[in-house]
Amino acid sequence: MLEKPDKLVRYDPGMYRDRFTFFFWVILVAVCLLVLRLWYLQIIKGEDLLKRSENNRIRIREVKAMRGIIVDSRGVVLVENRPSFDVVIFPEDVKDLKGLVEKLEALYTKVNLTFPMDYETILENRRPFTPLRVDRNVSREKLALIETHSLELPGVGIDVMPVREYYYGEIMAHVIGYIGEVSRDDLERDKAQKSGDLIGKFGLEKALDSFIRGKAGGEQVEVNVIGKKVKTLGRVEPSQGYRVVLSLDAQVQKAAWTALEGKAGAVVALDPRDGSILALVSRPGFDPNLFNRGISTDLWEKLSSNPLHPMENRAIAGQYPPGSTYKLIVAAAALEEGIITPETAFNCPGHFEMGTRTFRCWRKQGHGRVSLHRAIVESCDVYFYNVGKLLGVDRLAQYAQAFGLGTRTGVALVGERRGLIPTREWKLTRFGVPWQPGETISLSIGQGYNTVTPLQLANAYAAAANNGEYFTPRIVKRVETDDGEIIEEYRPEKKAVLPVSQENIQLLKKALWGVVNEAGGTGGQARVAGRDVAGKTGTAQVIGMAEGDDGSAYPYEYRDHALFVSFAPRDNPEIVVAVVAEHAGHGGSAAAPVARKVLEAYFAGKPKP
Amino acid sequence: MKIDRRLIFNFDWMLVLFVALIVCIGVLNLYSAGHGISGEPYLKQIRWVLLGLFVMVLTFAFDYRWIARYAYVVHALAIVLLIAVFAVGAVTKGSQRWINLGGFSMQPSEIVKITLILALAKYFNDHRVEGKYGIRELVAPFLIVLVPFVLVLRQPDLGTALMLMILFGSVVLFVGIRWRALLGLAAVGLLLIPLGWNFLAEYQKERVLTFIDPERDPLGAGYHIIQSIIAVGSGGIFGKGFMKGTQSQLKFLPEQQTDFVFSVFAEEWGFMGALLVLVLMLSLILWGLKIAQHSRDYLGTLIAYGVTMMVFWGVFINVAMVLGILPVVGIPLPFFSYGGSSMLKMMVAMGLLMNVSMRRYVLQS
Repeated sequence: MLEKPDKLVRYDPGMYRDRFTFFFWVILVAVCLLVLRLWYLQIIKGEDLLKRSENNRIRIREVKAMRGIIVDSRGVVLVENRPSFDVVIFPEDVKDLKGLVEKLEALYTKVNLTFPMDYETILENRRPFTPLRVDRNVSREKLALIETHSLELPGVGIDVMPVREYYYGEIMAHVIGYIGEVSRDDLERDKAQKSGDLIGKFGLEKALDSFIRGKAGGEQVEVNVIGKKVKTLGRVEPSQGYRVVLSLDAQVQKAAWTALEGKAGAVVALDPRDGSILALVSRPGFDPNLFNRGISTDLWEKLSSNPLHPMENRAIAGQYPPGSTYKLIVAAAALEEGIITPETAFNCPGHFEMGTRTFRCWRKQGHGRVSLHRAIVESCDVYFYNVGKLLGVDRLAQYAQAFGLGTRTGVALVGERRGLIPTREWKLTRFGVPWQPGETISLSIGQGYNTVTPLQLANAYAAAANNGEYFTPRIVKRVETDDGEIIEEYRPEKKAVLPVSQENIQLLKKALWGVVNEAGGTGGQARVAGRDVAGKTGTAQVIGMAEGDDGSAYPYEYRDHALFVSFAPRDNPEIVVAVVAEHAGHGGSAAAPVARKVLEAYFAGKPKP
Repeated sequence: MKIDRRLIFNFDWMLVLFVALIVCIGVLNLYSAGHGISGEPYLKQIRWVLLGLFVMVLTFAFDYRWIARYAYVVHALAIVLLIAVFAVGAVTKGSQRWINLGGFSMQPSEIVKITLILALAKYFNDHRVEGKYGIRELVAPFLIVLVPFVLVLRQPDLGTALMLMILFGSVVLFVGIRWRALLGLAAVGLLLIPLGWNFLAEYQKERVLTFIDPERDPLGAGYHIIQSIIAVGSGGIFGKGFMKGTQSQLKFLPEQQTDFVFSVFAEEWGFMGALLVLVLMLSLILWGLKIAQHSRDYLGTLIAYGVTMMVFWGVFINVAMVLGILPVVGIPLPFFSYGGSSMLKMMVAMGLLMNVSMRRYVLQS
């Protein structure tokens, strides 16, 4: 049973005959229209179009987009484009590939060069309508050679690839990064890419690639018998990549680079008021210009086997024990927790006993009875041993974390490391051994398991300098078009406020000023006249040394790291500078002068208060 | 269930013959058009044809009146799939059309063409009026098409969306619409064009503008049209021969195994070949009209008419586009273009035609 008997069981389709007739004619006329058009194209214009097809000279040629330029906060151009030339073969314009390759080989041999590809490779890699790059980044001479023989080389052309000109070379290599040819993996991930495209591979070139890359345009062109363009039939302009404005100051960056000359290490300078990074230097560096068209195996080998790891960005990926620079955090924690007052004093006989172990002060004869201010100014270790013992590892870790240590700062750079702030629990899970009280003692002068990156260190001091409030460090201010229309703006991002009272912060800032400016202070070498520099030295031991040994007799890799973190001017700080000089000795003598040079460069030309 | 002997007796061999001829030529052409393209599209297409045959049998095995009972439900399901496309669909060439169903992907926008025809057929069969339809009676069926239309347009797939409207228009013209209502709708349509214009994606606007002025898009449609016309024209009277089309074998033709598959055929088989295909298509379409005209009941007439018009518009719009007399809108050529969803849709359509045809003399008990 299907359904109730239809009212129209005696359905009479004849009722609709008119409509069927109507649609019959509609369809017939429509198909006749198609046949007429076919007739016109194939029979009337057939001859013409046959010739055009046999000699199809209409091509789509890609027009590469220029990558966006990168400028510093003052508008100084850091990176621009320059052309690089490739010899390409347009497969559809080649009648006799084998003959062509032979001609090219002969031509190269004539001027004592070798053609870098053979017939089989070309045959294998040939794709319809994709120019095949047979010789990359050719010299002007080769370019002229190909151009003058172009009549004998049908289907051979020159393709212009915009490559990068890094004006600041290794000075900014770690920040800006470099470009390279798109890899097979990238191609699979991003269908918009074509083989042979140049994309950002490292640093900001990579992180901001989608902004910098731009969009390729193209041309519909008519070519002659040897594949040379004779007429442009239509053109879609490529869109230029966007301009990137950094917070970096090229002058400060350059000064920091120069100041660290001959050392391995890192310098970070930032503005504590909004977290803008003014300089981010890592030494040794590398020349990003070498990567443009693919680096040679030799050079790569040399770079990657260098024991100093020039490719590593130490400013964000180098993890160092903070040494005495950590005392700021220990002091802040102890004051807040009520363990000490500014008046609390301890006696420093030059050493500190803990069970069977003896911990030394850096000053053999001791500091006598010192309270907080002098303890920071003279960097008295014994004072902090006492404070650390009362404070305990976990409370200290809490404050270290509040200063942003032990976690990534969140700067928009790839490869940032976390550093390490140890706790009892951490040690138990990591090593399965309980925390030893003696370890807290080392920790209170920044030795032991704890490590920080130079950027973290700078940001922790920025927190104190800015009266407790600190930001996520930012290196890119904005991305904009050539006309200045803003595409993406990276505003200062407030990260946290220190759990430290204003009274205590002012106290500590005053002590840090004393480090640089008072008699007996360890950071005197960072003094800049009229700028009220404040700071803290640090000397991080790599291995334990005998009493009074300055380490100069030890091999390089066992010598102490020199650290110095500073800010200026004391009352309204505009800049924080953190310096880490690997295996360079004492913070006061090896790192503080570096910071001074950076500060001088920053304040150069600024009116004194 | 006992199979009615008259069903076998009335089996429509002519319909099968037309479809078989067209499908064979289509696959043969794909062999040439897809030559050198990874995966050999023709092999996959044969698999789709075989699956299509199975689906076709399934479609005519059940009486269309029984199928039509579920027309609204099926249409609603198709709409749900269209919505699902936005949630889980894959993006290709800037638009979301595909949905992945455990291993193979499909285009719900193709399915919805069939369900639309069924739903409209059911609606107009259930709601008959004396004389012709006025605006008020057309509101409900208009909603049947409007919902999928908007969804498909948002994907964005301009060609398919327009196809849905054209199908609706064809059905409405057939069931009869008052002159006043027709003029009114036309006026509203004209007014809506500027509104709809804003609704289009940038690339769709470009396509329409490119049709008016192909120079606007020299790297895309402008180039496609020029190369397609060169290909078709260069075929001449007898064509360049199978697998010998220079335009297609040298890959000058864009989308040559899908939207521009007819250029390949016209280039290699010339005017005679192209004419043969058009005549075969025309025969199939007219045969479909005949089936509609001789159906047992009004529902059968509407279903057969609907799917026939779907074939007709598919052929007309695609060939007209390839020959450069309509804009490049991305409508596949029925039975010829590579693609599973399109092939299955056509096979279901043929199943429906067969369904109506073989039951034309079966009176209900």
